[in-house]
Amino acid sequence: MAQTVPRILAIDAGGTMTDTFVVDEAGAFTIGKAQTTPNNEAEGLLRSFDDALHYWNIDRTSAAPHLGAVVYSGTSMLNRLLERRGDGPIGVIVTAGMEDYFRMERAVQTYAGYPFSDRLHVVTHVHNEPLVPRRYVKGVRERISFFGEEVVPLYDNEVRSAVHSLLQMGARAICINFLYSYRDPRHESEAMAIAQDVLREQGSDIPIYLSSRSNPVRGDLARLNTLVVEVYAARPSRQQLFNIRDRLKEEGSSAPVRVLASYGGTVSPDVEWLVTTLISGPIGGILGARRLADTYQFENVVCTDVGGTSFDVGLITERELLTRTEPTVARFLLTLPTLAMDSIGAGTGTLVRIDPAVKRVTLGPDSAGYRLGVCYEPGGVSVPSITDCDLVLGYINPDYFLGGEVKVDRDRALAAIDEQIARPLGSDPFSAAEGVVRLLETQMRDHLYGMVLGLGYSPENYRLLGYGGGGPLHVAGYTQGLEFQDILVPSWAAAFSAFGGACADYAYRYDRSIDLLITTDAGAREMVAQSLNLAWQDLHDRIADEFLRDGLNPDGMSFVPSVRMQYMGMLDDIEVRAVWPMDAGEGLTDLVKRFDTLFAKIFARSARSPEAGYFVTKAIGVGILPTEKPVLPAFAVGDAKADPSADKGRRQLFWRGEWHTARLWEMEKLRSGNEIIGPAVIEAPATTLLVPPGHTALLDQYRVFHLMNG
Amino acid sequence: MANDDENKKTVQALISGELPWAEMKDLMSGTKDPERFRVVRSILQSMVPFPEKILLPLTPHLFIVQKQSERIVKCDCGYEFGDYRTNWKYFSRVRVRDSEESLKSLYHPDQGVDPQWMELREFYCPGCFRLLETEAVPPGYPVVFDFQPDLDSFYRIWLKEPLD
Ligand SMILES: [Zn+2]
Repeated sequence: MAQTVPRILAIDAGGTMTDTFVVDEAGAFTIGKAQTTPNNEAEGLLRSFDDALHYWNIDRTSAAPHLGAVVYSGTSMLNRLLERRGDGPIGVIVTAGMEDYFRMERAVQTYAGYPFSDRLHVVTHVHNEPLVPRRYVKGVRERISFFGEEVVPLYDNEVRSAVHSLLQMGARAICINFLYSYRDPRHESEAMAIAQDVLREQGSDIPIYLSSRSNPVRGDLARLNTLVVEVYAARPSRQQLFNIRDRLKEEGSSAPVRVLASYGGTVSPDVEWLVTTLISGPIGGILGARRLADTYQFENVVCTDVGGTSFDVGLITERELLTRTEPTVARFLLTLPTLAMDSIGAGTGTLVRIDPAVKRVTLGPDSAGYRLGVCYEPGGVSVPSITDCDLVLGYINPDYFLGGEVKVDRDRALAAIDEQIARPLGSDPFSAAEGVVRLLETQMRDHLYGMVLGLGYSPENYRLLGYGGGGPLHVAGYTQGLEFQDILVPSWAAAFSAFGGACADYAYRYDRSIDLLITTDAGAREMVAQSLNLAWQDLHDRIADEFLRDGLNPDGMSFVPSVRMQYMGMLDDIEVRAVWPMDAGEGLTDLVKRFDTLFAKIFARSARSPEAGYFVTKAIGVGILPTEKPVLPAFAVGDAKADPSADKGRRQLFWRGEWHTARLWEMEKLRSGNEIIGPAVIEAPATTLLVPPGHTALLDQYRVFHLMNG
Repeated sequence: MANDDENKKTVQALISGELPWAEMKDLMSGTKDPERFRVVRSILQSMVPFPEKILLPLTPHLFIVQKQSERIVKCDCGYEFGDYRTNWKYFSRVRVRDSEESLKSLYHPDQGVDPQWMELREFYCPGCFRLLETEAVPPGYPVVFDFQPDLDSFYRIWLKEPLD
């Protein structure tokens, strides 16, 4: 057999495991897993890479020189923020009178991320410990109005003294955020010049960050938060990323390392604003789904990711992905364009208890996470998890968890479920465990059904894609009774997010608030068109600068201009592709038409309300350079009957109140065209696909399973 | 509950104000433990120096207790206010802050109340002189009777252990 030539290395460094997805020239892939090493991520990454390569019998040093693309996504930045292990102290200068941003948090941050029951339960609301203590926030007098006019000039001496005292207090960076600086940045720029003077006098070289530079968009708390998170959580990650790049270079790789950003593109670790990569894990999955949708020519896809702690759902509707611009992350409002995913806190690690008052099963909200459940003794968990239930029901192979590397104890799980769940309910442990799993799946089903219905569609209009560690195991359950056109489970479901990262464009994105009303008035239309063109030109130039800094020629860049728009008076804006340059006549009319159509797709036709005009909130630019992406190889479709070598024997599994004898199959040994009739379990080291009684799984030419009921 | 000792320790910390926020949040957002009241009651009982059974805590220092056939309000210093159906405040020492002068010692000049509109009444225990309660009301407003519980229904219906 000819030596395999790895071309793409995609990494998803989660909190516990680092997944790698390695693709060769022909599109064949291999998956590696290793423990994440938070203090030096390169280490775990290389081990995971080794694990992936060992399936191909090649070693790292002979593989690395062939790499053409390396894409990283991870949660370390987000974890640094969640665990409050960021950099500081950070000095902040704001418009005088606004110094208490972090103590007031617009109130909404006091219940951010809470379930609905706690939002109503006001005593549970709590202020976040500020990332910047109050004494490090200095106010200076100045004011730019909403219309971009200077109302109060900048008081230079106040800037000087603010910088002086911040320096004296040991600030390691200074963030400047003035009201309406997105309208006119001149005061922020002036303040920066003054601050630089002071730093020079004092012999200091700490960095200064401007909100009008990082994110010139409306929403001053979110804008300031984003600026502070850049310094607090993102900047410390830069070194880790450089380290990964250096280590791969030492192994002989000359491929640029790119990082997945929340808007769905990938950027260099040298990117000016690294905070754009704060959220990357779940984003990978939805990009992978889009890739599959393109391959199969699907219009509408529901993407479902079952992880250890959450169930994430994203929708591709008529080939469109939804982007949100002000997400709440780790209880902070941020101005980060982010592909929309809606999560509920239900995953395979979710803990199961009986409510002692009403004697009913409650799920979560906490999770066993990497400690799996009672079945994993070293984890020290005493409350059963969904994984414990799956194990007891015969869905998971206790001797093949992560390919047999993790030993799980089915008897421990059974005893805990019996004592803590079954007996209080007066039931047997198997019926109790099944009841729990069905309850979880019902919650998942309600969640995704609600999202599809909310758009005015029904499951019949969609295909559903299930991935993540627990997706293949539960997808039959959470789609039960919903008539999707098709249910697909890729055989690389466990590393699907890493795969998705590899499918992302090399792309920089910038947003800018413009707030303009499109009416029929010709003069106003002329102004809208002009402002848009100016904004796009500026965004285009900034993106070109990013590529230049990466050592790339921006001439080959394709620039995608778009806007965010809403009906005047509505609260939610949506993103619409535009044409640059924009003209005030036909151009704007076309833009409005495209918005009307898209609005009807994403919300509902009947909710359109063009009477008061159209409000353009933002100009957006995305610059894309071509990059190598995985191809999905098509295998020859053969016999429906699986090769006997794939047969792993039989196991008892409990389904709908009865024991069934299930066939067991080794996923790796199944071939395109094989049809697996349930009850059956298809096992791979990192994935278990459950084919319940009455269901059939068909493996297609791209090694994607289609799960059919009947 | 899975672990009674653990539970008792948690409630003890809650009462003494030492429970970390995250655990307190879990208690508030979690399911209601039907044993919670009994646990709280027994901890409070172990903290007071008198033998009478606590029926219900009223404030951090005041309790309704069973004294022979009577149910009275009692301070943790031992002072007795009498039958719980009569407002205990009638038997306390009262200080009324209804002048600029008396309010000034509490509030910044810009932030205090206008004594024409509102007065502060502070109720102290005649036994230990602790501040037990404060009310902020318009001048002339009747003394507020904060809480008169229906003890029999509470014990019979909610706790399912009727009082004799
Ligand atoms: Zn007293």
